[in-house]
Amino acid sequence: MLKKVGLVALLASLLSVVVATTAWGSAKAPANAGAVAAKSVKCGTKVTIGVAYPETGPAATLGTPQWDWANFAKKTWNKSHKLKLAFVRGDTQLAGNNPQAVQVAHAFASNGKILAVSGPAGSQEMEDTASVWKGANLGPVSGSETRVALTRALPGTPRETTPGYFFRTVPNDGQQGDNVATFIHKKLKKTNVRIIDDEEAYSQGLSLQVKNDLQKVGVTVTTDHISQQNPDYNSVIAAIPGNTQLVYIPWQVPAMAQQFFTQLRANGDHQIVMGSDGTDDPSTFKGAGSYVSGFPVQTNAPALKSFKKAHGGDPETFGLPTYTSVMVNATALQMACNAGHGKTTRAAVRKDVAKVKLSKAVSLLGFPVVFLKGNHGKFQGNGDMGGTAAFGIYKIQPNGSYSRVG
Amino acid sequence: MHHLLVFNIIDQIRTLGWPGFWSLLRNGIVSGSLLALIALGYTMVYGILQLLNFAHGDIYMVGAFIGYGVLQAFGGAEMASFPIVPLIIIMFAVAMVGSGVLGVAIERVAYKPLRNAPRIAPLISALGVLFFLESSVQLLTNSAHVLYEGVYLGGNYPSTFGPLLNSVFTVDGIPFTTVDTLVVLAAVALMVMLVWLVYRTRFGKAMRAVAFDREAAAMMGIDVDRVISMTFFIGSVLAGAAGVMYGLYIGDTSFTLGFQYGLLAFTAAVVGGIGSIPGAMLGGLLVGLFQNFATGYVGGQWSDIVVFGILIGFLIIRPNGILGSKAIQKV
Amino acid sequence: MSDTPDTPGVPEPPPEPPAETESGPKVGVDSWVASHEGRTQRGPLGWLAHGWESTPDWIKLLAFVAIAASLPYWLLRSEGDLFNFGLYTLLFVGFGLGLNVVVGYAGLLDLGYVAFLGIGSYTYALLSSPYYGIHWPAEAVIPIAMLAATIPAAILGFSARRLLGDYLAIVTLFFAEAFVVFTNVANPVLFGKGLTGGANGIPQVDPLTFFGYKISSTKQEYFFLIGAVAVVAGALYLANQSRTGRAWRASREDPLAAEVMSMPVNRLKILAFIFSSAVAGLFGAIFAAILTAAVSTQFGIPFLITIYAVIILGGLGSIAGVFVGAILINCTFVFLEPQTDHPGFKRWLFYGAIIVLVALLKPWYKAVVVFVGTIATGFVAHAVVQAWGGSAWTGGKTINGASWLSHWVIIPKTSHGNFDNILYIGLVVAMVVVMMLKGWWRIIALGPTLYLTAVVWENVLSENPGVTALILFGAMLVGLMIKRPQGLLGQARVEIV
Repeated sequence: MLKKVGLVALLASLLSVVVATTAWGSAKAPANAGAVAAKSVKCGTKVTIGVAYPETGPAATLGTPQWDWANFAKKTWNKSHKLKLAFVRGDTQLAGNNPQAVQVAHAFASNGKILAVSGPAGSQEMEDTASVWKGANLGPVSGSETRVALTRALPGTPRETTPGYFFRTVPNDGQQGDNVATFIHKKLKKTNVRIIDDEEAYSQGLSLQVKNDLQKVGVTVTTDHISQQNPDYNSVIAAIPGNTQLVYIPWQVPAMAQQFFTQLRANGDHQIVMGSDGTDDPSTFKGAGSYVSGFPVQTNAPALKSFKKAHGGDPETFGLPTYTSVMVNATALQMACNAGHGKTTRAAVRKDVAKVKLSKAVSLLGFPVVFLKGNHGKFQGNGDMGGTAAFGIYKIQPNGSYSRVG
Repeated sequence: MHHLLVFNIIDQIRTLGWPGFWSLLRNGIVSGSLLALIALGYTMVYGILQLLNFAHGDIYMVGAFIGYGVLQAFGGAEMASFPIVPLIIIMFAVAMVGSGVLGVAIERVAYKPLRNAPRIAPLISALGVLFFLESSVQLLTNSAHVLYEGVYLGGNYPSTFGPLLNSVFTVDGIPFTTVDTLVVLAAVALMVMLVWLVYRTRFGKAMRAVAFDREAAAMMGIDVDRVISMTFFIGSVLAGAAGVMYGLYIGDTSFTLGFQYGLLAFTAAVVGGIGSIPGAMLGGLLVGLFQNFATGYVGGQWSDIVVFGILIGFLIIRPNGILGSKAIQKV
Repeated sequence: MSDTPDTPGVPEPPPEPPAETESGPKVGVDSWVASHEGRTQRGPLGWLAHGWESTPDWIKLLAFVAIAASLPYWLLRSEGDLFNFGLYTLLFVGFGLGLNVVVGYAGLLDLGYVAFLGIGSYTYALLSSPYYGIHWPAEAVIPIAMLAATIPAAILGFSARRLLGDYLAIVTLFFAEAFVVFTNVANPVLFGKGLTGGANGIPQVDPLTFFGYKISSTKQEYFFLIGAVAVVAGALYLANQSRTGRAWRASREDPLAAEVMSMPVNRLKILAFIFSSAVAGLFGAIFAAILTAAVSTQFGIPFLITIYAVIILGGLGSIAGVFVGAILINCTFVFLEPQTDHPGFKRWLFYGAIIVLVALLKPWYKAVVVFVGTIATGFVAHAVVQAWGGSAWTGGKTINGASWLSHWVIIPKTSHGNFDNILYIGLVVAMVVVMMLKGWWRIIALGPTLYLTAVVWENVLSENPGVTALILFGAMLVGLMIKRPQGLLGQARVEIV
């Protein structure tokens, strides 16, 4: 008797769960991905951008500034435009959990409100989600993916995204690496270089590019690796061959670059240290005599000053391209909504992203933003920034300030 | 391919020569001392409760952050000419007490109710505490890296701990700095105090009794709960001290510290024989030396594998660690 | 004891057991332990438990397959939901099934399981992608992947002979770490390319192709996965019912006694490792195909802990438990993640969960006291802060759909970084205090603590949903172990120490 009652109770509770969740389910956006991708969305007064960045995981130190800058962009835009921005954020947990990026991509793809995407942060995340974005008719604008193959086919590696479905507001590894190698060889005239990467995809990409470029012109290059999670550099420093003149550290965390510099000097070594754009942070990386790649940002631009004030005096610029990417998306949305008289689709927004032109004052990167339509130079392709977009090379002065030298 | 690697290693050893050797030895001893302090916490808790306290690495991380908090309260890492010695003492004191209290709280909340549960329950509980602590610190620090040493050397801006990086003596041109000696001396002092506590005091005797046979100790009138809490307290105090030392030595910390270092310290405790106090100290030193020599001679990317490989091989040959005692299986 | 001495040297006969005064079993007598099953839970929960236990297992599996197959038509209609809630849950079920064999059935603490998943993934990725240009069909690659995963597992199992529980855990943990380091950094060059692709991994992996039929859309993958999971679950269930299963259980409970009873314990251990790694290789390969990539960093310790949480929550050794655990953990995580865009709903879920937990206090008047205490503290605190600080301290955000809530919770207008930190630390301290108090003191302390929880939620946690999910996960693990260490569908075991 008890068994029968139990069975009935089980079925009843199952049924109630089914009914309740059906009600919840059918309240959401229905149908398949194709319908969502082609849907026409009313602009109204608010448009939604999906922001994908690593909120948790070991790379959270990099994600948080990106989110801060994205929010700053939203505030700045909303102050002066009638069409307001709203964000849906996706936590991609870069370097801790690659599948998370795929989950975020699927979630964004199915969210009918999202018309444009800023992010994701890591190149390998883009490689894995390119097909999802394409199927969803979205063209993400990333502020930190630097792998060359994302926009340009190279011998041995085909292009990894479809043209028109990916843009980036940051110069790629080929451009930066080439720049750095030329500077080291021609300007600094060094003949013996050691490259230490931090075992992340960004670092490995840059390291490879610089190594190949330097070896082609006859510079001796040795390499080493240290995990991004391990700031004990003493033994890596001890392993540096005595005749090394310059150590290139294409890392993503300025604090670690500073620590490397400190430990190097404390060990009595005198090699010059050169960092990449990931270490560009005047408030943290202050090793005098070192070099750094960075955006030619005007540090006294009013927007930069107000960001600094809102963040306790820390003007870190790693997240700056995310600001630019939000501005790109917002401009494209504005263009698409105006053209469609209050209604637009993802495809229209995507096409407008390719047409966006931002002035120097708006982009904050130190150069105007315009996207390439085809291949250009040695490393650039459709989706890269054209024009004068490039990193500058800075030298750190004894008082900690950065001054441009290349 | 393998013989190439061996040639590379021999080549590297010759290139770095004696200065390289002293450098790596110094690094190994310093980081080994830190690892030994953390490993002691692991080993003491295992000895008493047969519990692998995975959350211990996070206590170490919290200690480093408490020290940083004290530093900030006094003005931050960029004060010029601040009396360093009292500052360091205060940082140590506050961090040690704070970590100790945290350790006891964790024991009370997460492990005490599980004394009689199956072995896997406190293990999972420890993992839960690990997640909780690490994410909480991430929340509180907004995922940022914090710098202890501020900026330094070669520039004309102030640095609180700048004097720490002056060299005390040199061997073959390799400087041994103040902070290196400070860390090693402090670690040795703490370990000596621990050994005195465990082997020369009545309370130490009680600890050893509870580790040997908890029920019999209880029957002899020892307050087992108090002994266990004190064990956690002492282990956490050591970890907190190690955290501050790490901050002074390396200069940078973030919320991911506990995980990485915790794993390494855990390795050290196991290699030395888990449950054995001298074993933890020896194991910490060995792992520190192994790691640094491997980084220097084999290369950053292989060093972790080399260390793990040696340790796995070790455990397969001597399953109880170097100084561990054979566990008696009861039917 | 009688007072007339009997024949010296002959012990007294034992006293008669007292006549049973009531018809129930007695504490201290073996029949109490034996009638454990009879003492079911009372009330509706008891009826559910009974109903569950009395359905035959094959019907449970069939019901699951039927319900799961129907989901894309009424609950998970959007593709994103199907992928995140449906596909991912099934993947976790698959992972959990494999781990359940070695940890649940055989009782071996295997912390290297993610490495086997990784080996399966990488094998599939290397043999079915443009990386080396090899594009073998899935029916050839998957058995190879399963085989590739079992080889190191057999070696590990072999080394398990000499290692007792904790040491085995350590060796397997090192193996897992070594795997990540090997694939991420060491990346030895083979046939002109780094074998494992370094930090980038191996991208653009082909979708599963069985005998010419390509499984590429989310729906197709979903149905395929339901089938795969059902088949593997059935196979493992049969293995559990067999002699091997019984032998595993015996060696789990008491290896020495099992050895004495002539069970080949060492061979059983190796067998457990092989079974578990074969399942891991299979689902690792499917994982790579679904994600279209194999990246080393995803097979790290946090992933391992999640799979462990799945089988522990469900109950070790219970196949149905793996299903339940995977559904609960994955769906909760995905729901709490920021990209699932329901901020309002999440708030009500959080408050609702707290209300339900409090309502479980017995007797009912304790729960009422807690509720009243919480609400009262809230209004009092709000009034005090309002009077003292003005609306700069309470004017914060307006909560859509529940503006009365903003009169209860304190939300300052501009977030003062230190204020948030102090609140959070205060909450943690308050919770520790509550746990250490007993009786009525605990009930009284619970009121303000719950109010503090609400304040912290509004101010801090909902701004950082990803980190909050992890904090709640950690707290859940601790709470679960304290309340119910055997998991939801597991059996309470007493360990012989």
